[in-house]
Amino acid sequence: MHPPMSLIFFFLTAGTSIGLFIFMYAIEFLKLFGKGQGLPQEVILKLGVLELILIGLGAFGASFHLGHKLRAWKAIKRFRTSWLSREAVFSGAYGFTLLVYLVLNQVGANPFFEHLFGILTFVLGILSGFSTAMIYASNKFVLEWNSSITVIYYLLMYLMLGSTLMAYFSYLYNLPYLGVFIFLSFLFIALAFGFRLAFNIRQFYLKRPTLNEALNLPHNRPMRVIDTGSTTDNYCTEEFFYRRGKEMLSTVIPLAYLITFLVPLFLVLYAWITGTANHWIFGLTYLFVLFGSALERWSFFVEGNHVQNLFYGLYPEQGYTLRKGFMERKETKISLYG
Amino acid sequence: MAQFALVIDLNTCVGCHACATNCKEWNTQAAFGPLSDFDPYGAHPEGVWYNRIMTYEMGEFPNTQVFHLPKSCLHCQDAPCVPVCPTGASYKREQDGIVLVNYDDCIGCKLCSWSCPYGCREYDEADKVMKKCTLCIDRIYDESLPPEHRKPACVLTCPARARFFGDIEDPESEVYKVIEERNGFVLFPDMGTNPGNHYLPRIETKINIEEFEKHILKPDNPLFLEVMKRHHVSNKGHVPEEKQVEEVV
Ligand code: SF4
Ligand code: SF4
Ligand code: SF4
Repeated sequence: MHPPMSLIFFFLTAGTSIGLFIFMYAIEFLKLFGKGQGLPQEVILKLGVLELILIGLGAFGASFHLGHKLRAWKAIKRFRTSWLSREAVFSGAYGFTLLVYLVLNQVGANPFFEHLFGILTFVLGILSGFSTAMIYASNKFVLEWNSSITVIYYLLMYLMLGSTLMAYFSYLYNLPYLGVFIFLSFLFIALAFGFRLAFNIRQFYLKRPTLNEALNLPHNRPMRVIDTGSTTDNYCTEEFFYRRGKEMLSTVIPLAYLITFLVPLFLVLYAWITGTANHWIFGLTYLFVLFGSALERWSFFVEGNHVQNLFYGLYPEQGYTLRKGFMERKETKISLYG
Repeated sequence: MAQFALVIDLNTCVGCHACATNCKEWNTQAAFGPLSDFDPYGAHPEGVWYNRIMTYEMGEFPNTQVFHLPKSCLHCQDAPCVPVCPTGASYKREQDGIVLVNYDDCIGCKLCSWSCPYGCREYDEADKVMKKCTLCIDRIYDESLPPEHRKPACVLTCPARARFFGDIEDPESEVYKVIEERNGFVLFPDMGTNPGNHYLPRIETKINIEEFEKHILKPDNPLFLEVMKRHHVSNKGHVPEEKQVEEVV
């Protein structure tokens, strides 16, 4: 599939915003039960404003994916059937309740209402991430995506973005949670990595349809695409098969693994074991996670093979490998004698 | 419930692209047009088409069969492209089962095209909306046309008469009968989309390859050189000597 830059951007901004809020509010929530001491109000304000800006930027960026941006509001119409509609509703509502929560928190309003909105924002944030992930996971025509693993690691990456940035702010504002967030960063990076690996390994075991199945013709006969009816690429071949991306995939995936998961894991472990705490180590961890995630998202899209590609002879064969050459068309075998 | 659809005879379709061309012609000038073209006279002429014809080869050379597959929106009975549309711009009509896009509501998110297993929707970069075959809804209900012209443009234009149009749920209709009689089949049945459009299978032609080779592998046959060349390539130079002589003579 062709990777849409605007959706990658949305993942990074919305992911950071929602991930950060989840942890920020978790601290406030635990304070309700006498656990921990909560966050200073000005830290809540700063983090909250950052989260608001990020979700706003995300929504703005994602609108570049749309042909008609000004009609985007219409996307709320099919909430009952469309995950995209649900995503639009939940992320919009998340931004709104986040704003209300911040205001209530800053003016020192009734704690009941403040926490009501806090919990609402928390839940809406998760629902928003879940809906976005479901847009991909529910697509049964892209077998690579069509799995609960897609959803789990999508949400884990939100938590990974949030916890690493929270570790940075814990250090920056001298909060008593540095140790906790070092641990949580480690946990979520490791979990996200595990599920991302599972996502890749699963691709080797997919039972892929064949051109014979697509054309509903006898299975025991070799079938070849001779002509696709157009002299150039068209919408279908460009949207669903990103040739250049496919070629780069075998380089980008290891790189994405390294930058998103391995380097940050090393940095966090290093800080943990040696007790090192400074701007650099936590800032870098977040930046690596952020830029790595962009590569990871890019690979996620390019890895997806839409079954419509079968009609164009661009679909991987059964049991393909991620290495080079898996897209080569079979040469016509010409033999006159047996 | 009625389900209007096309039935295409793979036996008679000659792959002339007349249906695709006339589809583009009609739909560009009529109610749903235009279907944009980009770089039409340049090196990469791309454009929006409702209907595309692909060509496939089945079997191993020399026992092969070539056939052409015109593919437009199949007006699926359980169309997966409809529920995913966040705006409701994609919809399936109750009265005739035609799947349409409301261009005024479409936000161009492309999600419907991701949810069509057949690649039958195309995004129009100029209008920024998703487009697809309308089953010529503006022709088939047009009472100003003589009744025999109230058919999709592609059906009317097909020089091989490979295309039929009608209600596949109505036992009286031509399409219903032809599907029944000739084992009409649908594309990708496993996808659970239950397409409306059907295809009529090819009746396989049987030829005696050995007889055929005897005729073709004669030095005075203008194809002789070509066949030998392909043959040579495929065997990487190892032509079984006696056999070759035997057949050529
Ligand atoms: S062929 Fe594709 S676009 Fe047409 S109804 Fe079926 S799923 Fe939708
Ligand atoms: S591209 Fe248009 S028709 Fe397709 S899902 Fe999006 S809004 Fe609906
Ligand atoms: S029915 Fe009409 S719109 Fe559909 S392929 Fe035929 S000519 Fe084109």
